[in-house]
Amino acid sequence: MLEFLGIFTTVEFYIAVVQMTTPILLAAMGGLIAERSGIIPFGMEGMMLMGTVGGVIGSGLTDRVEVGLLLAMLAGVFIAVLYAIMAVSVGANQVVTAVALNMGALGLSSLLYVLAFAGGKGEVIEDVIRVRAMPLWKIPVLGEIPFIGKVLFNQYPLVYLAFFMAPVVWFILYRTSWGLKIRAVGEHPHAADTVGIHVLKVRYLTLIVCGMLAGLAGAFLSIGAFNAWQENMTSGRGFIAYTSIVFGRWEPIGAFLGSFLFGAADALQLRMQTQNIQVPFQVMVAFPYIVTVIVLVLSGKSAKWPAASGEAFKRESK
Amino acid sequence: MQAKHQPRKQNLWQAFLEKSFNITIPVVAILAAFAISGLLILGWGSNPIAAYKAIFQGAFGSPNAIATTLTRMTPLVFTGLAVAYGYKAGFFNVGAEGQLYMGALAATWVGVTFTNWPGWLLVIACFLAASLAGAFLALIPAYLKAKRGFNEVLTTLLFNYIVMQFFAWSLRIDHPMAGVDEKWGLVNWFGIKDPTQPYPKSAFVAEQSWLPSVNSFLKTGFINSIFGGTHWYQASLAEPALERITLAPLLAVLGVIIVFVLMFKTTIGFRARAVGVSPDAARAMGINVSKTILVTALISGTLAGLAGAMEILGTQHRVMERFLVDAGFTGIPVALIGQLHPVGAWLSAFFFGALRAGANRMQITTAVPVAMVYVIQALTILFAIAGTTIELVSYFKKSRMTSLSERAEEERLSLENNEVLDA
Repeated sequence: MLEFLGIFTTVEFYIAVVQMTTPILLAAMGGLIAERSGIIPFGMEGMMLMGTVGGVIGSGLTDRVEVGLLLAMLAGVFIAVLYAIMAVSVGANQVVTAVALNMGALGLSSLLYVLAFAGGKGEVIEDVIRVRAMPLWKIPVLGEIPFIGKVLFNQYPLVYLAFFMAPVVWFILYRTSWGLKIRAVGEHPHAADTVGIHVLKVRYLTLIVCGMLAGLAGAFLSIGAFNAWQENMTSGRGFIAYTSIVFGRWEPIGAFLGSFLFGAADALQLRMQTQNIQVPFQVMVAFPYIVTVIVLVLSGKSAKWPAASGEAFKRESK
Repeated sequence: MQAKHQPRKQNLWQAFLEKSFNITIPVVAILAAFAISGLLILGWGSNPIAAYKAIFQGAFGSPNAIATTLTRMTPLVFTGLAVAYGYKAGFFNVGAEGQLYMGALAATWVGVTFTNWPGWLLVIACFLAASLAGAFLALIPAYLKAKRGFNEVLTTLLFNYIVMQFFAWSLRIDHPMAGVDEKWGLVNWFGIKDPTQPYPKSAFVAEQSWLPSVNSFLKTGFINSIFGGTHWYQASLAEPALERITLAPLLAVLGVIIVFVLMFKTTIGFRARAVGVSPDAARAMGINVSKTILVTALISGTLAGLAGAMEILGTQHRVMERFLVDAGFTGIPVALIGQLHPVGAWLSAFFFGALRAGANRMQITTAVPVAMVYVIQALTILFAIAGTTIELVSYFKKSRMTSLSERAEEERLSLENNEVLDA
């Protein structure tokens, strides 16, 4: 038990917490914008998966991380646009579409990886291919602060972006006219439509933003905290990001806290596994989900699930 | 159930409720998916015809291939039925994955605990345990939906992850086993791990609970006495694939028939479908909506739990980490491609099973990676739901054009029916 508590005294643990939070937070912020406009962002898992492979291909082929990030965003947007075509234009069931896209992204990411690094033609990639990963950016003065500097201000650029996104998303949703439009479309698409808001366009745009952020979240896994790619690299983090949104009751601050909770549980579990501590770490992993269910049940009807979320908008239907 | 007042044939309600299984959309979707994937394979530098031929051979080319296809499809049939039945009543069960795992865990638990029970009893107990586990898991989200209006997609999804962690935990706790001398605590009864080895795996369930295979069926005295002398009989006995084909695929067919009857021929199914079409209309007809949701979820969870039991008793005989990946989630597209019809679910599970069974052969003979199969599946789902959605929309448009008087007449009839319904 003492060993277990010992984890909390190490700086590495807190650095890991921040780093495990990052991909979840990035995706959750993208997903939140999409969900507030009325689209359940279940497809984030697929967007993130494509982001992981986009990042590794861009960085691996050009040896430039920026190219990797750009490709990761494009790859995420690719899935997002497919999602938008199905969920927004066709009006298909969003959850089913997302299941299909996540499955497709699982296959497509593997295919692209082999195509990029084995030149196609059925070669099997035996070794792990190492690519250039993001450097750590030390913030000048703040990075010198003893403990906090190491944990918060000597991190990867995407970490800063992720933590910066939470207030930005809040600001966009609640302090700008775009945010008002997004929320209107998510709550009362027909009312929004009658006042001249282009519902489908708003939903397309929010999904594209979601794709970009989820793509970056994926890239953080492959060329941020790590420098290589594995099949199914996200292993459910897209869903975790979604759960964070639910945990946060569809509010940016809440989703931020949710991501943090999941990130911390993830980091704790990893540290416990590497140090071979005999405390059932499954409890740690399940804990945030259990809390989420409790939050959901306790908040009851007051949870702000966007009223029109999951429903396709059809102009003529009433 | 509509004995007193026989409504006009095919009135609007029934046209929608009884909307029969439409095979055109899935077939077109599959063809379109293969066509587009074919272009991808061409771009890959391989021959799509050869690749598809390899999939076909890997799925049906030999007795062994057929056995693999049947093995792969069986859990998908049950999860597909689970999702389809729930969806018909407006209970979108995204939790089939967790229910399947709990079903498998429960079945294994019974199978490794009551090792001295006779086979028939043990099999029934395993199935019962699996159904209860699955049903219990579905019941909580159903309760929250029925009584407090929670979205079941969220809750069933969340339960998956909690359950998966419980499963992983249980795999690491020694299960009290006969013959192993140790002090067992209460916690051990929640564990499933085989205490005699270090890995997170359970012991094999007692052998008498393994579902009989075609091979063992052939060996029975009765069959032996009839066909014993034939050359065909001897050849079949020597065929190893027949040992892999068990009762499970047959039970899957039975499951399809039962769900079909339940869905279309019983009051329970009628109520479920009425709630699925419109809870308000169902309430107006005098149907107890929350009770219907609870019953539907119980049935859906039971089916998903049985999927896990089938896999354990029919194929793997023990649980381990990731023993069956994604069969629960795949139940969603299986149900939707199957047009939410039990027979359709069986057909699409068959299609998915065959694709997965044939994927390896495709990779070996034509150098197209197994991952291509995921793309084919994804495209099939996308085309199928796009087709279904567009068709439904046009159906609704048509339905709005029916005259008001016709509607009023139907409403009167359905209200008259409902006294019979709830009798």
